[in-house]
Amino acid sequence: MSKNKTEKGFWAAIFPTIGSVIGTFLYDYFFDDPKRPGIMRFSFPARTLHWVTAVLIILLGFTGLILFVPGWGTIAVAGWTRIIHRICVYIFSVVLLLYFVTYRKNCLDYIKESFTWTREDLGWLRAAVDYYLGGEESKMPPQGRINPGQKIWQLITILCGAIFFITGAIMTFAKGAVAPGVFQWCVFTHDIAFIIGGCMLIVHVVLGALHPRMSESLRSMITGKISVQYAKSHYGKWYEKISKKQA
Amino acid sequence: MAKAMLMDVTRCIGCRACQIACKQWHDLPAVHTTNLGTYENPPDLSADTWTRIEFRELDDHGTLKWLFSKHQCMHCTDAACVNVCPTGALKRDPYFGFVTYKRDKCSGCGYCIEFCPFHIPRKDEHANKLLGTGLMGGKCDFCFDRVSNGVEPACAKACPTGAITFGERDDLIREGRQRVMTLKKNYPDANLYGERELGGLHMLYVFAERPSVYDFPENPEMPAAAISLPIEKWTGVGLGLLAGAGILTASVVARARMIQEEKQNVKE
Repeated sequence: MSKNKTEKGFWAAIFPTIGSVIGTFLYDYFFDDPKRPGIMRFSFPARTLHWVTAVLIILLGFTGLILFVPGWGTIAVAGWTRIIHRICVYIFSVVLLLYFVTYRKNCLDYIKESFTWTREDLGWLRAAVDYYLGGEESKMPPQGRINPGQKIWQLITILCGAIFFITGAIMTFAKGAVAPGVFQWCVFTHDIAFIIGGCMLIVHVVLGALHPRMSESLRSMITGKISVQYAKSHYGKWYEKISKKQA
Repeated sequence: MAKAMLMDVTRCIGCRACQIACKQWHDLPAVHTTNLGTYENPPDLSADTWTRIEFRELDDHGTLKWLFSKHQCMHCTDAACVNVCPTGALKRDPYFGFVTYKRDKCSGCGYCIEFCPFHIPRKDEHANKLLGTGLMGGKCDFCFDRVSNGVEPACAKACPTGAITFGERDDLIREGRQRVMTLKKNYPDANLYGERELGGLHMLYVFAERPSVYDFPENPEMPAAAISLPIEKWTGVGLGLLAGAGILTASVVARARMIQEEKQNVKE
């Protein structure tokens, strides 16, 4: 394997990552009016993390997908996508670690939030089918900072992420050291996590960016703010809590 | 139609002419090794060593038996490596039945290395684990260029004792069975290996002892994960398309319903 190819793979991974950080930063400081009315929903570090991981997941997902879809494998010939896949994972690990060390409270809240399930949540999920198909908005019970649908997504990111990291680490570092059977089932489990995570990612992207009920979702992840009206209708309980705090 | 090679271990004298012939024909460099106190050399299969005679010393009731067996790709009919190879670098030739490897189609994922029931494929020597570089080093190609021109493989050609014979698979099976019958008189454990294993191997063996004595798996099996991977992939692709189509439809339906509602609100 030529050194040149390794370098290319490295830059193919690192350019979009740095780009997403700079992009978020530039947008926040030059194009967003800080006095724009609205409620702060996602802090700047949270948004940066979101877009960095988004870029990394797209790169990881694409370099994985071509091995996954039968017939697309030829794109991976000579292994250049493997280098990108590895380097992205290393960057991902460093980014997650740095974020965890710096904003530990955010991370722990995120995990706690994802694993806290109440009876009300199940009721919301039952009503959600009609809601997402354009049903009556007022029927939905008021929600906290995130609704159960988003809670599922957070749970998926944690669980699938853990599976990806563990099985991936075994396949990368312990290849040959572990029994072939362990490696084989790691490949299988990695793929299962990819199916579940990938399907949920599609749902996440379409709901966030295209769904008419989630009209301010994408913008809030870019600028961090949502309108008062949107906060009241979508995250009633959270809005009450926030406004009480401010008052 | 299906060709095969039969190795009669009882005729092998351990001269390793087959190893040299293989290297010569495929233009593979010699491997620098150190003396490990055995005639066996090189110590392992590698990207540059596609076939190797393994030397075994067996203590049989006080008498020493020196056993030789040729190790290389077994060219399975139900090959696990072909099942798991994502790029199609490993394929089964439908005419001869051999498992062919095209290096320029390899991505270096190494699944074949971990899924092979005989533990045959090896990675490039200069492969980097951290970066995931390096390809599968290469394996016995059954001298495809020779065989397709009607010549026997280099190792079979070089064998001075006729331990390695090349021919029609059916003929070799018949031959092997006869040889086993003869051997049974002196070697009660004699057996023909590769007739039914993994749908039938294209590398057949006449063993004088149990296969495990020669470091061969007694019952090689296709790993369950190798069977489930292709199924899993198609399921995954289907689910992905379904999720995408479903959520897009939901978005479109929702928008249509909301527009309709708005119109009604305006009318009222």
